[in-house]
Amino acid sequence: MGMMNTATLPRADEDLELRGAPETPWQTVVWNDPVNLMSYVTHVFRTYFGFSAERAESLMLAVHHDGHAVVAEGAREQMELHVHAMHDYGLTATVRRAPQ
Amino acid sequence: MTRELVMAITRVEALHLSQMTQQFLDLLEATTDAASDEAVARLVPDGYSDDDDAAREFRRLTERELLERRHVDAQAVLEILRPTLPDQPIAPDDASLTEEVVVHASADDVGALLRTLSAIRLVLATRLGIQSEDDHDSTDPRFGIYDWLGYRLDSLIAAIESDSPPTAP
Repeated sequence: MGMMNTATLPRADEDLELRGAPETPWQTVVWNDPVNLMSYVTHVFRTYFGFSAERAESLMLAVHHDGHAVVAEGAREQMELHVHAMHDYGLTATVRRAPQ
Repeated sequence: MTRELVMAITRVEALHLSQMTQQFLDLLEATTDAASDEAVARLVPDGYSDDDDAAREFRRLTERELLERRHVDAQAVLEILRPTLPDQPIAPDDASLTEEVVVHASADDVGALLRTLSAIRLVLATRLGIQSEDDHDSTDPRFGIYDWLGYRLDSLIAAIESDSPPTAP
């Protein structure tokens, strides 16, 4: 495979984009594991988040190659709901504060 | 996007799937403290990796519901498999075991089936000590079951995806 998802790499001007935001955003991070099938992870991303097949696969590959991927960002409570949902599907996921 | 599904498998596969799902249910029922069994613990992972207090609170709010969901899902799987099972015990070499049977699953059942297959694989992987994608012992028959579950899960997903209307990027 060897495909990389570069869309989630931090950008140099990220601070500027976040300035004025009401609060620090939180993230839903999905972690790679040796058990869940790639097709299943992609299916979960499509079904739960409603992502297109392309976006779901790109995020799945990011999880697979980079060990984790940020699949959502926003209010903490919303991220906790997402992580709960990911756990319901058997994926390993955590909530974290978006890195500064 | 998930619709109802019709899945053709052999009777012996349906039987194995049903038995495994029942064993999974037995494990859930026998485990009152998820942390006491690493395979059950894998079904309720930490929600925070860098904040123990938040992880504990998240677990307090979600763990019971997650385990109840595994229970409800597994019961649904047993229900959809029940019509395909033999009425009475049959010999392992009975010819009817290789017959094809048709499993009918509603849209809700399909989700329950996917999550249950996935959860049983997680439990098996923990029992087999799978730590990386390279951990595989083809001489161990339990890996055969693990691989077969993966194959069934994969083909189910392929069937569902091929059934879905294309989505815009």
